[in-house]
Amino acid sequence: MLNIKNLYSGYLKLKILFDINLEVPTREITVIVGPNGAGKTALLNSIMGIATVFAGEITLDGIQLKNAPPYKVAQLGISYVPQMENVFAELTLRENLMMAGYMLNREELKNKTDQVLDMFPILKGFIHRKAGTLSGGERRMLAIAMGLMRKPKVMLLDELSTDLAPLITKRVMEGIARLRDELGITILLVEQMAKRALEIGDKAYLLVSGEIKYSGRASDLLHHPELSKLYLGVKEVE
Amino acid sequence: MFPPWLAGGLVYASALSLTAGGITLLYITTRTFNFAHASMATFGFYITYIFYSFRGGNLYQYLPLSFLFGSLLGIICYIGLNRPLLKRQASTITLMMSTLGYDLILLSIIQMLCDYLSYTFKLYPRRVTMSAFDFEMFGTSAASIITPLIAITILTLLHLFLTRTKFGISMRASIENPILASASGINSDKVYLMSWVIGGGMAALGGAVMSLTMTGTPVMGMTVIPYMFAGAILGGLENIYGGILGGFIVGLAEYVGIYYLAVKVGPWILGYRMALPLLIMAITLLLFPRGLAGIQWSYLLESIKRARKGAKS
Amino acid sequence: MRNIGDVLKQNLMKREVIISLVMLLVLTYLAISLGFPIIFSTLILFFIFSIVTLSLNLEVGHTGISQFGRVIAVIAGAFVVGAIPGRILAFLYGLPFGLEYADDAVNYKVVPLIHKILEKDIALALGFLLFCLVLAGLSGALIGWLTSRPAIRLREAYLGISLLAFGDFFMWVGHNWEPLVGGTTAVFIPDPFRIVWGYRMQAVAFTLLAILVLVYLFIERITKSPFGRTLKMLRDSPLVSRVYGKDIVKIRTQSLVIGSAIAAIGGALYVIYTGTCTAIGFTRLTWTFWPWAYMMLGGVGSNIGMVLGVLVLTVSRTLIILYRKSLFGFLLLWGIDPIWLEFTLLGLVIIFIILFMPYGLVPEKSETVLPSGRIKAILESVRKQSSQTPEN
Repeated sequence: MLNIKNLYSGYLKLKILFDINLEVPTREITVIVGPNGAGKTALLNSIMGIATVFAGEITLDGIQLKNAPPYKVAQLGISYVPQMENVFAELTLRENLMMAGYMLNREELKNKTDQVLDMFPILKGFIHRKAGTLSGGERRMLAIAMGLMRKPKVMLLDELSTDLAPLITKRVMEGIARLRDELGITILLVEQMAKRALEIGDKAYLLVSGEIKYSGRASDLLHHPELSKLYLGVKEVE
Repeated sequence: MFPPWLAGGLVYASALSLTAGGITLLYITTRTFNFAHASMATFGFYITYIFYSFRGGNLYQYLPLSFLFGSLLGIICYIGLNRPLLKRQASTITLMMSTLGYDLILLSIIQMLCDYLSYTFKLYPRRVTMSAFDFEMFGTSAASIITPLIAITILTLLHLFLTRTKFGISMRASIENPILASASGINSDKVYLMSWVIGGGMAALGGAVMSLTMTGTPVMGMTVIPYMFAGAILGGLENIYGGILGGFIVGLAEYVGIYYLAVKVGPWILGYRMALPLLIMAITLLLFPRGLAGIQWSYLLESIKRARKGAKS
Repeated sequence: MRNIGDVLKQNLMKREVIISLVMLLVLTYLAISLGFPIIFSTLILFFIFSIVTLSLNLEVGHTGISQFGRVIAVIAGAFVVGAIPGRILAFLYGLPFGLEYADDAVNYKVVPLIHKILEKDIALALGFLLFCLVLAGLSGALIGWLTSRPAIRLREAYLGISLLAFGDFFMWVGHNWEPLVGGTTAVFIPDPFRIVWGYRMQAVAFTLLAILVLVYLFIERITKSPFGRTLKMLRDSPLVSRVYGKDIVKIRTQSLVIGSAIAAIGGALYVIYTGTCTAIGFTRLTWTFWPWAYMMLGGVGSNIGMVLGVLVLTVSRTLIILYRKSLFGFLLLWGIDPIWLEFTLLGLVIIFIILFMPYGLVPEKSETVLPSGRIKAILESVRKQSSQTPEN
């Protein structure tokens, strides 16, 4: 569905990613793992048109995304949930959802809002509060809800589990798996704490220093004797 | 109704709040300190003046035309200058200098326009006292009542636009987090264009209002722009309401403060009236390096309350 | 080995050389067709603005301070020279020197009397000139130190706007407070060049050239020194320079003090050259925005670029003033004075540079601390070492 070929990208003049080849198949969870500063977020930013693409191709169902402005990429059905600052803190929850569904018409917006709020009933109570007043977990929920508002074909999720308690991380990951199974959304998941992500993922890539060092089944990477120890902090499976 | 010094002060303060609000709006959306606000304001005044000179009638009916013309100048500035620079992620200083270039071109056009008007139509556009064309209302100049109302109306409309309309909310979203906003499908280009439309219009309207309390000259905007900036900085450059409030404080302080000082100290101080707003700005910046918006009001109120309680018990 | 022809060709093809040659040709043409006075007045303005722009570049280009108040330091130099040295001479020779000195009714009688004294004594004239410059430099340094206080606290845009506003403030003070420099009327400045009366322009021009060369060498020396490299590090990354143990506050203050002192000398030279000091003439347009335009045209951060930027724009201004009637005379049909095209030119130049030549005529070169041959040798030895050690 989402294809990346020989991508070189970075920010302005700074080169970060080198010769990236990546394939995100439909209705699957593709996991990108790698250490800090490997260029994982830069990869998502390149897809969205936020980072600068120097060479290579990014296509969604054959449509070229390279050099398209972010709002055009969003209109094509790619929904991005950034790691940091993923909600509008100064806006109320309702306004946040409204902005997330900016491309929908009035009718769709109302239906989608109801639908999303049914998925995250806890947000209903805060609907007129500013998003800046939410707790960390609630914020992340809102961020995912906002990602879903856009009727996405593909969701790009950046480090959803940062700072979350292990139990909640597990639940979040289960939720992501449900997005794939029940809503049929294609997912590109970027994670630093890779174990849980690899458990639910179908395909996996290991990104180190701007280059892809491994690609294959997620479960294979999880059980890979050297890579998992070196880069993932996964303890040997007993 | 008002004594003359207060009447003039209200008009001036309204004009500064309109212009300072525009400067703040442009800064928070496009990171641009708009030097061209000076000549945009002057242009606003000349549009009203020209239409009044040729068609007569009530001068306030031409204010919307000034606003529209200012918007046009803003659109030209955005499309020709600001957009390519924003795409290149130019620095704040570069953005600022580019509007200075635009301002100088506008200034030369204004100067040529004045030459043309005086030569061809035998007008005297280089020293215009617009207040002479004003009328009386409730025993005071109409300007001192109408212009604050205009400022309040614009402020209210702006507030409604930003909180009640989808596009207005998207502007706020873009201001807070441009990346997330554009990833949500909001076209930041449209947001920037809109802020130039509103900012430019407010500048021109402010200039037209300003000419009702001071002599209109081709360099009117050029002379006043430090105080527009002072108002915007006093407001903290973080939200439009701060800018509007800052402009109003600066404007009123200049008129009312100097009147008070002239009575107390002596009339020689009238020559230094422009020092007063700068002094206010300097003191505010030294105490609160981020302006009024940087003050944690709730914290301040809380500590005052606590101090009072402490005094009582 | 490169042969001498290649080296010569390379050097001649440099943009700097071509531009200066073109400008010199234009000046020669003007000198032949219109006589020398116009050349000297153009050159004098070129020298003075070069000094001011070099100082601006030291603060903006090398240190990264958003100096939108260049006029403040220029005013400091000009007003001090307008107010103090004349009074001292008046005091020494028993003329009125108090608050009334700057009163136009007194001033226009006193200054010719001082001229009579200066005319005769070359040592006194030189001493007077030197004293003026030192005084201006000191007051500029003082004002630079004062502006450095907020410069440490405020963010760049806030600082720029505050300095801009205070530039206006100082101008209005001079305009309103008559005892300083005559208020609304001009105060005359005793002319140290009286002694060479028939050749005044030439004398002024050569003195200014000498001072410009000194200032240029001084700034070139500073910016090439370790201090200059520290300035650039501070400009490019305040955080890194803090990590390396540099005192940001001190460095910024030093840069502002030096820059302002030089700009003040520029202001002093200007009022000495014109012989009068009018407060209202020190607008932010002439003394802040023009130097900014020169600097941006020349290429922020490059010293030789400053001189070229000033040269190009000063010559273009002269050309507009000289040929406005013959080239843009059609504007007069509508009663429009073509002199306003000067503003249009300035605005267009600024916009053109920003849009199409962001690095100016002479882009700043990244300089290496050591000669390039030495660096290559070091790199080579490092490479050898690393190839010897086996990979782990």
